[in-house]
Order: sequence, then structure tokens, then C-alpha cells
Amino acid sequence: MTTVIMRTTARAIVPIILVVAISLFFEGHNLPGGGFIGGVLTVTAFAIIYMAFGLDFLERGILGRDVDPGKGPSRDRVVVAYRRLFAYGFAIAVGSGLVPLLFGRPFLTQTYESLEGVPIYGYLGIASALVFDFGVYCVVVGGLLTILSVVGAE
Amino acid sequence: MTATPGGMESQLVIAPMVVVLVTAVGSLLLSRRPRARAAVSIAGGAAYAIAVGAIDWYIVLAPDAPGIATYQVGDWPAPFGITLVADGLSAFMLTMVAVLGVASLVFSTRHLPGGGGRSYYFPLFHFLALGVTGAFLTGDLFNLFVWFEVMLMASYVFVAYSGGPQHTRAAFWYVALNLLASAIFLLGVGGIYATTGTLNMADLALRLADPAAYGLDPVPVVGLLGLLLSVFAIKAGLVPFQFWIPTAYRAAPPQITALLAGATKKVGIYAIIRLSFTVFAGAEVAVDFPIPLLGLSIAGDSPLPFVGAALFLMAGASILVGGIGAVGRDSMEGVFAYSSIGQVGFIAIPVAIAATTIDPGLRELAIVAALVYALNHTLAKGLLFLAVGAVRSATGTSRFADLGGIASRSPPLAIAVFVGSLALVGIPPLSGFFGKFLVFEAAAKARAGSVLVLLLVGSLLTIAYATRTWNRSFWGAQTDAVETSTVDSVQVAVLVLLAATIVAVGVGFEPVYAFAEAAAEAALDTEGYVDAVDPIDASELDDSTGGDH
Repeated sequence: MTTVIMRTTARAIVPIILVVAISLFFEGHNLPGGGFIGGVLTVTAFAIIYMAFGLDFLERGILGRDVDPGKGPSRDRVVVAYRRLFAYGFAIAVGSGLVPLLFGRPFLTQTYESLEGVPIYGYLGIASALVFDFGVYCVVVGGLLTILSVVGAE
Repeated sequence: MTATPGGMESQLVIAPMVVVLVTAVGSLLLSRRPRARAAVSIAGGAAYAIAVGAIDWYIVLAPDAPGIATYQVGDWPAPFGITLVADGLSAFMLTMVAVLGVASLVFSTRHLPGGGGRSYYFPLFHFLALGVTGAFLTGDLFNLFVWFEVMLMASYVFVAYSGGPQHTRAAFWYVALNLLASAIFLLGVGGIYATTGTLNMADLALRLADPAAYGLDPVPVVGLLGLLLSVFAIKAGLVPFQFWIPTAYRAAPPQITALLAGATKKVGIYAIIRLSFTVFAGAEVAVDFPIPLLGLSIAGDSPLPFVGAALFLMAGASILVGGIGAVGRDSMEGVFAYSSIGQVGFIAIPVAIAATTIDPGLRELAIVAALVYALNHTLAKGLLFLAVGAVRSATGTSRFADLGGIASRSPPLAIAVFVGSLALVGIPPLSGFFGKFLVFEAAAKARAGSVLVLLLVGSLLTIAYATRTWNRSFWGAQTDAVETSTVDSVQVAVLVLLAATIVAVGVGFEPVYAFAEAAAEAALDTEGYVDAVDPIDASELDDSTGGDH
């Protein structure tokens, strides 16, 4: 799969996918989108990078680390990072559900804040659901990338 | 947006779920420090037991307890949000899971089964408990589906946990079957939503009791309930959906199998009882279902007679298949896996009696019988599967051919297993005696002679396989594997404590019976359930501005 066509296409579409993923993530709480679908889309961008440039590209090409070829994939530092992302994302999601309890509201209660007169935007609504969505995003990205890189290497 | 009526009872409803979630996160974050992770897991298990104990006392058993409490997650009112409901039935089920769950958790800290995913054992354990807890507490049909999935995700990994070819094969079948079951579940849920326009259980009961007022045609509900029933029967392992049980139970680590048999199976039973009695019992549907071969017909004005007939057939076959299958197995977990199939039949028979009878007293008695039997099965079978784990971690095997004389090697372990086996058989004064006694009493009061004969045959088969297991592995001369073994003292202590619980439940049966009676009353009290959840009438909202959201 690592042909010139594939690499050139990947260079062009990966940024677009990531931007779409981020926009889907940010509008998720009141439009179609959200942490899950944003996360899945982000993972597809990673999957294309893996397909076009190989499994070691992230570690060697982008992070500039030396990769020991004989190592099991589950011990790669980047895979450890994926796993940690999964755990932290889960902690963020659960933690965001617990915060309303401090204010005497039920578990997972959400609210929002409207900001008027923001430069350029004019109006900006900030929803607390974004924190929960961010947790979900991290869980999805971390979980799927762990599976993708470990199973992909096998 | 109205605030949920607060109060401690309401907060308690969600307490077990929050505890499990936080414990799962904690054990996930501590994956590098095994000791800290085990400590967090044990602390979480203890907190869970305390939370469930608080629900038992403050919501169900205390003299001035309300009997039922609800929690509107995210402050969304029913039927739009997800309502959590803790009543007697939920509390009874949670208590069984809490006792066995803590036992299995402590047991697991001593000898973690090998395999690749060791660092994920405890997080997965908590996710399994989370799924079971959510299924018992939710008051929403779709949310029930979600908790089933949570439970299954964790159990998929556990079945494949040991990583050998036979485990992978067992897991493959297990996943394939449960994906099919989930699809059917979703189909049933979707059909019920299309028919009634709601999935909140209280709202559903309200609408089905008076379909004309809501402009519904409730007839498809009978068939859809049949679909759901088959899914729950798969989870409970009733014949003809029992075939996955022996391989999956053999493949999973024994301390997890104890939970699969003791807790997730009971989720299937719970779902049958909750949906059939609390939700669908009041449905105004004329059922007339002829059985041409026998010249009989099942008739009534609710879907219950249909549920009863289906359950009778499945439960009867389960008792025979499980009992006969268990007699010929060649390993401890093989016997107990088949025994689980038979014992679930014993639990389902009184549920079927409750569904077919029109006498409210007998209906309540039958549900009490099912619950007491379920409690006994959870304790006894949980103990026996944990004993398999103890024998396996001591000797490295659980095959009868390699075992013998464990009784002289480790008397405490043998005494615990002896108590567990007798509870399974139903010897007084153990918990199993009252379970069997109540089931027989319900069958006798229903004047179901053939059922009595079936129960008797099932009991004889239980005696046969329990005796055989005891003779083959605990009596006789010590084999080489047994002679060189050392039994873990903490594991044996857990088993002895479970055995003591079985004796205590039998000796002090009165409070247990009162609890089971409260649970059965809650299961049959549709009106109280609807009142507590208090769903807003969605059709009224259409006239106004569409709510305040």
C-alpha cells in the first residue's frame, strides 16, 4: 500500500479528515456529531497514515524516536500512550459526570454558558457536555488506536 | 427543568453504579502498580457492598422505608431521560451480586489466572459488575440493552482470557451467539417503541394498561415480548438456548465463571420477571393461542399466559438436559456448568407458575420461590465455581481423572464444598432447602402434578451429580496432583465464609424470606412502580411549547 499515489493522497486528505473530526467533535452537543464520531474519524486519519507510511512511521518519522524492530507491538511507547489516553479519557468522562453532584444536581447533569460579544464569533455557547464528549473522544481514539496498532502488527 | 425530588434515598439509587465506575477508572489508571490496583479494587468492592446494604435498609427493609426510590440521571424527567429505579426486586438482586462479587474479588487477588491481559483483569471485573448493576437498576428498556452490552463486552474478554485455542473457539461462539441475541433484543426494543411510542418501563406499563387512551394497538407487543423473552432466555441459559454455557463456562477463569453463573444469569431471570410482571402484566391484550397437538389453548387477557407456557417448556427441558448432562461430565467445572442449566430451570418453573396462575397469593408465593431459589443458586454455585478455582490453583487440574482425596488434604476446602453441594441438593437447614421447598409448594398449590414429577426427577439428578463430584474428587486416596498441592489459605477462607453465609441464610431464614417477599411484592406492584417513576404524559407537552428544554 505504500505507493507514491497513496502517500500523496494521504498527505492531502489526512488534514482534511482531522479538521472535520474536530468540527464534528465541537458541535456534538447540539448537532449531529460528538466525541464518539469525532474520535472514530480521527482514528481513520491515523489508519490512513499507518497504511500509507507503515506502522513505525509515527514513532520514527514524526516523533523522531528509535524503534527497536524486535519488540512486541504492545510495548511500543506510542501504544502505551494510546492505552493511557483511553484510561485518562475514561476518567475525564466519569469525572465530568461526578461534578454536578458537588452542586447538588443529579449525576451527568449538563449546563451551558453563553458568551456575548466575543471577537470574530460574536456569540459563543460553551456547553459543559463538551468535557464529557472530550472524555469519550479520548476513550474512542485511545481504544481504537490500541487495537489498530497491536492487531495491525500481528 | 424541575429538580429531582432529592433526599438520601434518591441519592442511594445511583451510589452502587458511581462506586463501580470510579473503581473501574481507578484500577485502569493504576495498571502499573498491581498492589495498589488490588487494594483499590477491594476498597471499591467493600464500598459497593456498603452502598447495596444501604439501599437494602433505607429503601426496602427499614420500618419507615419508602419501598422504592428513583433517580433521574442528568436531571431529565421521565420518560425522556434515563430513570434509575431501586425497589425490592432490584435490591434483592443487587444483594446477591454484592455478596458473590466481593467474594470473587477477594479470591481473585490471590491467584490471578494467567494469560496476556493480566493488567486488565480488575478493570474488566468492575465493568462486568457495572453492567450487572446497571441492568438491575435501570427503568428504561433501551438502557437495559446498553447494560447488557456492557456486561457482554467484559465477559467476551473473560471467555477468551486464557488465550488457548479452545478458549478462542469458545469466545468466538460466545461472541457470535450474543451478537445475534443483541440484534434480536434491539429488534424487539425497536418494535416496542414503534408500537407504544415509549421505552420507559413505567410509561410502557401505563400505556399498555389503557391502550385506547393513547391510541395504540397493543397486539404486536405479545410477539415482541416473545422476542425479548428469547433473548433473556439466552442470557439465563434456558433450553433450547443453553448450548453456549458449557464451553463458555469452561473457558472463562473459574472466579469469573462464578459471577457468570451467579450474577449475569440472574440478570436474564430478573429481566424476565421485571418485564413480564411489572411492565406487561397489566397489558390489555386478548391472547388466544391454540396448541393443536394437545388440544389445549392458552387464553387470557394479558400476555402472561403466553409467557408462562413458553417458560414451562423451556424450564422443564432445562431441568432434564442440565441434570442428565451434568451426571456424565469428566471435570468439576463441566458438572457445575451443566448443573447451572438445570438449576435455572428450577428458578424458571415458579416464574412460569406465577405467569399462568390468576390467584394473586400464589403468584406472589411463586415469585418468592423463584427469588429464594435464585439466591441459593448464586451462593451455592458461586461457592462451587470458586472451589474449582481453588482446586485448580492448588493442583493445576480440575479433571476427575487426576483428582481424589482432597478431603484429607484440605478439610476446610472440603467442608465448604460439602456445604455448597448440600445446598444445591436442598438439605435442611441450608438455604437450598427453603428454595426447593418453596418451589415444590408453589407447584403443589398450582395443582401441577406433571411439574411436581419433573421437579422430583430434577432433584434426584442433582443428588446424583453432586454425589458423583464429591466421590470422584474429594473422597478416596490422594492422587499425585493432590498430594503435592498446597491450598491457598485466603481462597479457602473466602470459601468457608461463603459456606457460612449459606448456613446463616438457612438458619436465619425469616429475614431473608421477608426480603424476598418485599421483592416479590415490588415485582407485582405495577402501580407503585409507575407512581414512583411518575412519567410525564408526553402527549400533553405537545400542546404547550414542547417542554422547558
